[in-house]
Amino acid sequence: MRRRDFINSAAATMAVSLPFVARAAAPFRLGLTPVFLDNDALIIDRLRSSVSAAMGEPAVLIQRRTYQEITAMLLDGSVEAAWICGFPYLQHQDRLTLIGVPQWRGRPLYQSYLITGAGDTAKSLADLKGGTHAFSDPDSNSGYLVTASDLARAGSTPVEFFARTIYTYGHRNVVRSVAGGLTRSGSVDGYVWETLAQVEPSLTQRTRVVARSEWMGFPPFAARKDRAASESVRRFATVLKSLDASEVGREVLALLYLDKILEGEESLFDSIKLRMADLPERR
Amino acid sequence: MIRKAWRECPVTLRVAIATGALMVLLGLIASQQVLSTLSSLQNERLREVAQSHVGGLKVALGSFVLHRDVWEVYDALDRAGSEGAGARILFSAVADDRGRVLASSDPARAPIDFEFEALLNDAVPVQEVTASEGRNSVRIVEPLLVQGREVGSLLTELDVSDLLAQRRSTSLALLAANSVATLLLALAGYWIVARLLRPVELLTSQMGASGVAPQQIPAEDIAKTDPAFAPLLHNFNSMIDAIDAQREAERRLADRERFVSLGRLSSSLAHEINNPLGGLLNATDTIRTYSDRPDVVRSSVDILDRGLKHLRDVSRAILEENRRDRSNARLSFEDFDDLKVLFEPEANRHGQQLDWNVDPERSTASAFPSAPIRQIALNLLLNASSAAGKGGHVGFAAHANANGLDLKVTDNGPGFSEHARQRLLSETPVEPGGGVGLRLVRELVSELGGEIALERSGDLTNILVHLPKRAPDQ
Repeated sequence: MRRRDFINSAAATMAVSLPFVARAAAPFRLGLTPVFLDNDALIIDRLRSSVSAAMGEPAVLIQRRTYQEITAMLLDGSVEAAWICGFPYLQHQDRLTLIGVPQWRGRPLYQSYLITGAGDTAKSLADLKGGTHAFSDPDSNSGYLVTASDLARAGSTPVEFFARTIYTYGHRNVVRSVAGGLTRSGSVDGYVWETLAQVEPSLTQRTRVVARSEWMGFPPFAARKDRAASESVRRFATVLKSLDASEVGREVLALLYLDKILEGEESLFDSIKLRMADLPERR
Repeated sequence: MIRKAWRECPVTLRVAIATGALMVLLGLIASQQVLSTLSSLQNERLREVAQSHVGGLKVALGSFVLHRDVWEVYDALDRAGSEGAGARILFSAVADDRGRVLASSDPARAPIDFEFEALLNDAVPVQEVTASEGRNSVRIVEPLLVQGREVGSLLTELDVSDLLAQRRSTSLALLAANSVATLLLALAGYWIVARLLRPVELLTSQMGASGVAPQQIPAEDIAKTDPAFAPLLHNFNSMIDAIDAQREAERRLADRERFVSLGRLSSSLAHEINNPLGGLLNATDTIRTYSDRPDVVRSSVDILDRGLKHLRDVSRAILEENRRDRSNARLSFEDFDDLKVLFEPEANRHGQQLDWNVDPERSTASAFPSAPIRQIALNLLLNASSAAGKGGHVGFAAHANANGLDLKVTDNGPGFSEHARQRLLSETPVEPGGGVGLRLVRELVSELGGEIALERSGDLTNILVHLPKRAPDQ
């Protein structure tokens, strides 16, 4: 109720001050993959309201359980832009364009972590053979592609290598799965794991990082190429890259443990591209 | 021992104890009933709690199990166990339709693909859940249905320690309350019964212990008791009066009997006095005629002396018999000598043979009072004499030994009639006209704590009286 009131009053205010935007009518829709704290309603709400305020028009944040759903919505125009993973971005690179790449700990890069329970003695992926393994999402780079391509390079597949694999559809869930003992190991976004180590150390303390991947391009914000020139997408790209300039924007970035959003370059995702090359069926 | 103590307990206390015991029994039965009801109510509550937990999980899990979505099943179990009301869930596991674990809240205990059957143990469907003492958890197994099709199973272990603790404390409180109520009822029962039985208690105390004469109930005590009991107490007092009057009559009769005995002897005794008198008068004539002959006078004086001494003995025996009942004299040899002096003329008058055999040991005999034993012996001798008839045989023997004093009176008469036997040996009322001599013997022997036996050997009737040894001061 309160949110709707807020949206209505914001729309009314903008209708007075920004007649052009008011005529645009439909709110800006941003798709979110469950990159990390997907259970944290506060962050989602702050992100939405700060984006909305910065853009001067109402914004709607849309979440789905799987990467595939969000990617599909982006491709079919159900959302104007989306914060997706580098893997689906590359899968649909011909139709998508970058509108921003977050910078974390000084670089627009992150790693994939291979984790096990805190008491597990495994020293490498090879030691986890025959165990149960949690992936985040079949379209996740850090939560699937890295481990799957490592196995492919060793001439194996997840199904052959592990006794059983499950998808948790959330990086935090991968950590929960390993911490709770549901699976012996898991593939997780290093940024999510490190952030959880700060906000929920009791969870990550029950896990141990066995291996870290090479540095790879941070999950980017993307839009459809044919819509990249539209007013709202351009304004959203501008807002994203100037979040660190406003108080509200910095607050949101702080909640996300990010420094800022950069322009980003295609080359950031070359290492992911290399891994995709090792999994021809997923290119 | 306990039975004896119980019988010796005052009747009011016994009734109160019985009332208390009944109240305790009632309390136990009531407690059992209430505990049983409480137990079933708590089992219902337990089922409701279990139902609410299991029901919610079943709804949440159905489609995940259908799709064998391990993560979602785990997520649902994990959330259910960690959020608020889920604190009751100790463990839960979900199996697919092949009986393999999809996920459990504790993967270390039940990992993915674990044999579900091995987890079940004593798990029961939610409708059969009961709380059993000593177990703080219940295990429930329920099928998971999607559109009526069974797609898997759910095992849940619920912590019910709080419900059991509540049940224990309720039970204890109930038992404590019942105990207090029982105690109060028992006390109230005692008080009421003691009040109701107060006249009975009064009656009992006035009735006296055995050997002690009953006492009249004072009029003021009767006024204080329940009006319904007053007539009873008045009747009791009337009975006491009647008993006292009867005693007095018996005492007078016994007194009279002594004189009757002497009266029966009077004729013989008169002869006993009269017979020597002729001899004595002859002696005085002889002295008067031959006063100048010292040898004749001396022999006549000897005759006079012997005759007068005999008369002195007879009169002394009669006087003694009269005086005895008023004295506390102890039994001695002389008593039996007196008896012989008194009775021998009667035997002689009937031409009866008298066997007299007395050897009372002095110290034992002196422990007995003289009067009742003389009366017993004289009455039995008179009875024997009249039974033996003219020219009959009467015997008397008295022996004292360490066990007491034995008297034996023998006659060769026709034996005892049934009436005579009853008078001597039983307490049945004496029929009028039969005389009271034998009944008096019985009463005197009873008072001395002795026993009477009647036996017939050949043509002889023997009456044996045994008086047990007594302390000299009794």
